[in-house]
Amino acid sequence: MNYERRIPWTVKYRPKNLMEVVNQEEAKAKIVEWLSKWPNVSKKALLLYGPPGCGKTSLVEAIANEYVYELIEMNASDFRRKTDIERIALKASTSHSLFGFSKKIVLLDEIDGISVREDEGALEAIQELIEKTNIPVIMTANNPWDQNLRILRNLAEFVQFRKLTKTDMRGLLMKICKAEKIVCSEDAINYIIERSEGDLRAAINDLQSVGEGSSEVTLERTKLLLRPRDKEKDPFETLRSIFSANYAWQAKAVTNQTQLDYEQLKMWLEENIPLQYTDLEDLARAFDSLSRADLYMGRIVKTGDWDLLSYAIDLMTAGVALSAKNNSKDKYRWVKYNFPQRILKASGLKEVRSIRDDLAQTLAQHLHVSTSIAKSEIIPLLKTIFSTNPLKAAKIALGLGFTERMIEYLAGTNKSTILEYYRELKKNMLLYYQSKHSKPVENNEMHKKEVDNLNKDSKKERDLLAFSKKR
Amino acid sequence: MSEKFIELLWAEKYRPRSLKDIVNQEEIVRRLLKFVEEKSMPHLLFAGPPGTGKTTAALALAYDLYGNEWRRYVLELNASDERGITVIRNKVKEFARSKLPGDIPFKIIILDEADNMTADAQQALRRIMEIYVETTRFILIANYPSKIIDPIQSRCASFRFTPLKKDEVVGRLHWICSQENIKCLDDSLEVIYEISGGDMRKAINILQSTSALGEVSVANVYKVIGLAHPREIREVLNLALSGKFIEARDKLMNLMIVYGLSGVDVVKQMHREIFSADIKLPEETRVILAEYIGEIHFRMIEGADDEIQLTALLARIAILGRKVG
Repeated sequence: MNYERRIPWTVKYRPKNLMEVVNQEEAKAKIVEWLSKWPNVSKKALLLYGPPGCGKTSLVEAIANEYVYELIEMNASDFRRKTDIERIALKASTSHSLFGFSKKIVLLDEIDGISVREDEGALEAIQELIEKTNIPVIMTANNPWDQNLRILRNLAEFVQFRKLTKTDMRGLLMKICKAEKIVCSEDAINYIIERSEGDLRAAINDLQSVGEGSSEVTLERTKLLLRPRDKEKDPFETLRSIFSANYAWQAKAVTNQTQLDYEQLKMWLEENIPLQYTDLEDLARAFDSLSRADLYMGRIVKTGDWDLLSYAIDLMTAGVALSAKNNSKDKYRWVKYNFPQRILKASGLKEVRSIRDDLAQTLAQHLHVSTSIAKSEIIPLLKTIFSTNPLKAAKIALGLGFTERMIEYLAGTNKSTILEYYRELKKNMLLYYQSKHSKPVENNEMHKKEVDNLNKDSKKERDLLAFSKKR
Repeated sequence: MSEKFIELLWAEKYRPRSLKDIVNQEEIVRRLLKFVEEKSMPHLLFAGPPGTGKTTAALALAYDLYGNEWRRYVLELNASDERGITVIRNKVKEFARSKLPGDIPFKIIILDEADNMTADAQQALRRIMEIYVETTRFILIANYPSKIIDPIQSRCASFRFTPLKKDEVVGRLHWICSQENIKCLDDSLEVIYEISGGDMRKAINILQSTSALGEVSVANVYKVIGLAHPREIREVLNLALSGKFIEARDKLMNLMIVYGLSGVDVVKQMHREIFSADIKLPEETRVILAEYIGEIHFRMIEGADDEIQLTALLARIAILGRKVG
């Protein structure tokens, strides 16, 4: 066996230029255009996404070859701690290239493989890299819905890659056979293509493993050497398989072959049950199952007992699948599924809640009531004041030491007016006490403390109360 | 002068500072003044409806005992917020340990909404009351004294605060209006009294909010009430009951984000709404709904997901609405 033969064919037959990249014309055009305009582009990074083996990395390499860019690469097998990313960023930003390239591209491969726990801080480092970069950044991912990628969603433009067609793949495999001088039967090639599900890399690897070192490849030999492969289903395929399952075991099996974890699956189902099931009773049954599954998941968190998970799965998959009793045709209906809205909205909600909690805390202390009374009784009335009388609202905000975030929460559409009043009042009050302070006043000390408190902002302003009471 | 810059909440601003300023609950005030005079008191239990002066009396008692420095000798805890008995115990311990100056006979711990404590927590509290009795007296405040366990009740001198009379509330509101230089028209203050159900704090809060609209008139009072208690949760229920599940769900999720409501906030509001006359339902259906809502409330306490549970609830309500409608 000579050296030549030991190179993986996936490397050996990588496209050298753009012409050799099959299909993906849309993506090609988009990337080339983006690169030519850079840095005058709306987003400084691209995220190429699509199923494995459809040519994302190959395309970037081909472009780098053809247009003479130096590629600064990092992929999943590299360490991806914060420091690694920062090292890359540093390398990218140094202006002189060792190999005499004038242009560079940072390529971060398989970023959906970054583990939030083990690669701590990596995503934030990438975010920073994109924000500060002075060269184009290109990332690739299989699953653009990965929750990890949420923070990159606003920073990168998404470019979709399609799954390769069978014709595309057949052409390529035949070309390789010819180059390698292998006679491969048509049904053997079809079998390899079928098995790969559009993953060209997998197909080429398979061809190499059956074809290397033998001059003839038959279907029997192929079937003998290649066992069926399990593929992970993307969220859309996962939902389709669950909804269309006729038997409980079918629906349950989906959880072994999906990209979604249980929490994610729960949210995808929540978002899409109403799209799949049109009959109200079917829909209520499905939600009843899902809510019971969710109850088990709550109990798992509470007790730490993961044995309970299997019940959650039963209810979430089989329970939902078998809910279409009134209108069973709904199960097979083709539906364009939605990405769960709540994942997109989650951070906003959390923020509003924490502001409301802080506000309730402030009010509870001031009024000697519990936070729940502050929320149910006081906040609604404050909201009416804030929506009807901006000046009074600003005075109250200053009197009770609200932060500007709290004011925004209470004010709604009025917020700019109230904040304006608030800042003006605050400024005038400071000036007023400072001028008083410069004159010899009886309770000088108290005023001094007052001004100090004001300078310290927000929470300390509450001490104003003490002052006004003494007054 | 500070009125030029700041405004306080009137419920606090006009809270009587000293027992002598409290105009009602005469019998209770007389007994409390005696404690001040003798500089001695047992543990106290103040019971009565909201807004009848329980917290005010406790704070005023402290003020009369200790003067301007009263905050140094008083620990205020709210049992609804400081749920865990360990929190209470630690705070109490820390507070009770600090030394008393010579002329102060004891410190005071005010435990508001004590009826919200679990029976277990109350048992622990009973021990704490015994251990620190030398240095510390408790004032327990509760709406429903029957929810306080007997051993605690028997250790406390009990005071029943009676609902405030119409004249008392209206008189106080009038007085505040004159202090704030605002005009109040015809029956507006009587209407505030009716709406607040004799709860002084609520009444004063409504008065202040109404004054933000300009003059205090009957129309403005109702306007404030309408604004402060949005009917949106009711609309969500009505949408669901009329079978418009998707709209109900979207509206509810939106509400939760805008108002920052938690799932428990929502079910509590729903529970109030289902007994309202504005939701047209056969009476027995209201009870069925209460059970649905209670089940969801329970699940959320068990750690289930707010959104999924509420969505399932709306779907169930939609089915129920179809059956009765």
